Amino acid sequence: MTVDADKRFPAAGRITWRDIGASETGVAVVVLAIFALLPMVVSGYPIYILPQYMLFGMMAMSLGLMWGFVGILSFGQAGFFALGAYTMGLAMHTNWGINPAYVGLLLSLVVGGTLAAVVGYFLFSAGVRATYFVLVTLALSIMVEQVAVSQSEITGGWNGMFIDRMSLTFGPLGDVPLFDDAPAYYAVLPVVALSYVLLRWLVSARFGKILAGIRENEDRMTALGYNISVHKTRAFALSGAIACFAGALYGTHANFVAPSLGGVLFSTEVVVWVAIGGRHSLLGALLGGILVASLSNYLSTVTPEYWQLVLGLIFIAVIVFFKGGVAGAVAQLPRLWRTGRQP
Amino acid sequence: METAVSVVVDATLITLILALAAFGLAIIYGLVGVINMGHGAFLTLGAYLTWAATTAGVPFVPAVLLAALGVGLVGLALEHLIIRHFYDRPFDTLLLTWAFFLVMTEIIKIVFGTDFRNVASPLAGAIDLGTVKIPIYRATIALVSLALIGGTAFVFYRTTLGIKIRALIQNREVASLLGLDIALMYKLVFGVGACAAGLAGGLISPMLSVDPYIGNVFLVRSFFVVIVGGVGQLLGGTLIGSFFIGGSETLFALFSKQVFAQTVVFLLAIIVLRFRPAGLLRAR
Amino acid sequence: MSSGTKKRTTVVSRRSALKGMAAGTGVVAASMAAPAFIRHLNAAEPIRVGIISPLTGAWTVYGKAHIAGFELAVDEINAAGGVLGRNIELVVGDSKTEPRIVVEQANRLIRQERVDFLAGTFSSAERNAAGPVVKAANKVLLYPTFYEGQEKEYYPGVCNKNIFMFGPEPTQQVWPHMEYMLNKFGKKLFMIGSDYAWPRVTNLVTKRKLDELGGQVVGEVYIPFGTPQYESVLRDIRGSGANIIFHSLTGSDTVNFRQQFAAAGMKDDFTFWTVDDEEVVTTGLGPDVSSGGYVSFDYFMSIKHPNNGPFLERFKKKFGQDALMNTVGVAMYNAAHMAAKAIEKAGEVSTDSLRDALGEITFDGAPQGPVQMRSRDHQIVVPSYLMKVRENWTSVNDMFEEVQSFEAVEPLDARCDLPL
Repeated sequence: MTVDADKRFPAAGRITWRDIGASETGVAVVVLAIFALLPMVVSGYPIYILPQYMLFGMMAMSLGLMWGFVGILSFGQAGFFALGAYTMGLAMHTNWGINPAYVGLLLSLVVGGTLAAVVGYFLFSAGVRATYFVLVTLALSIMVEQVAVSQSEITGGWNGMFIDRMSLTFGPLGDVPLFDDAPAYYAVLPVVALSYVLLRWLVSARFGKILAGIRENEDRMTALGYNISVHKTRAFALSGAIACFAGALYGTHANFVAPSLGGVLFSTEVVVWVAIGGRHSLLGALLGGILVASLSNYLSTVTPEYWQLVLGLIFIAVIVFFKGGVAGAVAQLPRLWRTGRQP
Repeated sequence: METAVSVVVDATLITLILALAAFGLAIIYGLVGVINMGHGAFLTLGAYLTWAATTAGVPFVPAVLLAALGVGLVGLALEHLIIRHFYDRPFDTLLLTWAFFLVMTEIIKIVFGTDFRNVASPLAGAIDLGTVKIPIYRATIALVSLALIGGTAFVFYRTTLGIKIRALIQNREVASLLGLDIALMYKLVFGVGACAAGLAGGLISPMLSVDPYIGNVFLVRSFFVVIVGGVGQLLGGTLIGSFFIGGSETLFALFSKQVFAQTVVFLLAIIVLRFRPAGLLRAR
Repeated sequence: MSSGTKKRTTVVSRRSALKGMAAGTGVVAASMAAPAFIRHLNAAEPIRVGIISPLTGAWTVYGKAHIAGFELAVDEINAAGGVLGRNIELVVGDSKTEPRIVVEQANRLIRQERVDFLAGTFSSAERNAAGPVVKAANKVLLYPTFYEGQEKEYYPGVCNKNIFMFGPEPTQQVWPHMEYMLNKFGKKLFMIGSDYAWPRVTNLVTKRKLDELGGQVVGEVYIPFGTPQYESVLRDIRGSGANIIFHSLTGSDTVNFRQQFAAAGMKDDFTFWTVDDEEVVTTGLGPDVSSGGYVSFDYFMSIKHPNNGPFLERFKKKFGQDALMNTVGVAMYNAAHMAAKAIEKAGEVSTDSLRDALGEITFDGAPQGPVQMRSRDHQIVVPSYLMKVRENWTSVNDMFEEVQSFEAVEPLDARCDLPL
């Protein structure tokens, strides 16, 4: 190659999740603590809206898992998210003797995981390239949107579907309705935190090492006897299940779902969040989702026309100059500090 | 019989128009290997530039040519500023071209506004074949599409320049040893691809509402055209892919609701992609 | 839900009261029929209205008239001294044409901006997204768009006592003109619409009247959003033997379809009747494609009603000579004026009093002619116009010519548990 991108853009490309993993835990504890204490300081709208953005962040983590740790990008993550919301909406009408919301949450894991597993295995087993996978997932999110629009008897079609707020039921111990802001907040936060911890644990466990190995060198892993397509499928199924679960919670929190929730525009917005937050860091993805969504909300009232443009330019800058996103840049700071002090 | 004839005519028109829309992508993806997610923005820009030129009083044909030129220049700028540094990283070019799409769409909204614009059809009326009526403009576009794809394919496969370009692109090491300017060839091909997309956007503009999302409609379809037809198969691949994606949608729509037709065609495209990742035209 | 709703309401009013005291006013004070001197203190505090408009996203093109209608009315109200001596202040939220964003913005406007009531949302999906929010927060929403009518099944998006409809539904927009169209052009209809609730229900309602009149549907298709090519549909239409194309495609699809319909030379062979293509879309179509078609709505810029001329003059003075107005913008305009009248009548700004007072408000100054809100189902009584698109029109001013019109068309009762 005549032009070496790494030489031209020295910051690009040289960050991996290893740099980030070490310093991330501390930051994560602080961030989660702040989120846990926030409702004591703030009330009203921020406490209402943050759970929705945390669930966006959870979806972003599900993408971060695929993109940063398996090296496969999905342009259809919002498809799973919307699927979860619809599953929740339909499950809310069940009457099986248990809390219908629990049915919805459980079903969303099953539905999202199964769909992702089927699509994933179908494609990975043929060794479909990562770039084609992007296109297939893009088409997938278009299809989710189209099916949601056309199956109006089930989904309410383009006009959308109402979903009641769920209640937590503890059998004989009683119920906790989640209608108010703070209870809803404290119901969503642990879920998001737990999914973060679970994913962190998974990527640092043997499973994560195998995924990293696949990302770095598929042939070598095959030679070592690993079934690559099965591992990729597992990761994608997990990713789909998490996005779908987050979507189910989102649906019951927002009380409403419409087909465009699964559409291409939202799906690719998730990609932008993760790129900016940091594709090699789960915390980066989570915070990328929360912060960019919050900023979009705030700035769209200030400057609706230019905000999307600025976001697009930031996206370009991240890919060209800071491949690791904000998390990557932050993770580099201590290293720069150290190298600066060691002459 | 009547329906049979008109179905064939319709399928042919759809195939050729989709082929026209996908052709710029086929060039860029097929020859320089960039997954150009900005293709939709090229189409949209072509349509808007055509609208702007015709509104300023330029006749339709020169307006379309100007638009194609303009989009070609934008494509060259994109290539020069960003894409050329990332040719060895297809994944990043995919993201960058998507970012280009996002930025370009916003710029179009800011510059041209978001109202529906319309470009008056330069050729009104229809050819009456007794049982079937073919809109003259669509028929013309279909022929232009055929000529353009055929002509370009001819240049790439039969002329010395084209064969040279393809050789350079297919064997970069040898070419660079020979001291040939690969960077320039890449740039040229990228520009030609952008230009073709701009031309398509301009030619399609009288048939569709010109709005900032006009290109979106064709983005995923165009990709499936290229992948199903076979990456790098400019002539046959584009036509077969277009028939598969567009023409068959017409046929399915005969028996089912439109929305099913679309979904079924997408599913089939995914299945083709799974079993023939190199496209229908190329044996594995 | 009720316990949560109740709790939240009290929380809000308590907070408002605290904030209000600091600012020298109070919702609680006002709702306790405050003594005159306190009310006098309130004079400076504006009434805050939250507007949700599609300012960006796919339907930006409709967003301008939408918000402009309300802004114009608010200017007029404030210039005339406001309501109860208070000015009206607008707080705008951009829906980005996404129901998901409507949920965010409706909550922001109510909780953060503490607006007194909401107006806007554009599509039925957007309104439905706002439905649960205004239900839970107990705020009134004024909804401006022509739509499919209210059906109990879709509560709380419709049949919601907090939502008022200022746009026409099919029994007002379509039924009054069917006899004329069928007698003049023939009784066979081909229905084409976008694939969602509004076109489907509109066609369903139309068919009921069609049966009465002895008409017949010879074809019915629904097109998914974002369809660029219409060959097969045009073929079906050609072979159907229809007299009238009854058209309810929306967004860019209507432009795509009609351009191809005209290009196929089919304009002369069929009568075209659209219930979607108002000023904005028709401008996008251009004269070649649109001329000769029939359109029905409650308002057009070209109507000759004495209220309309002065209204357009004020509108153009504020927004420019080329600005477009349409049925939705006028509904927003009417909504603002009628809400102001209702507040004036109630003597206070609270959800309950606004809801009660809005019930039977009439507005004689409406640009399309007098309109009246019905208290039993919150559906507005509006005029209905059938227009024909002129040949070679040059702008919205000469775009349509009136074919027939009806004053004060009553819709059928909403299919809800009435009264709301």
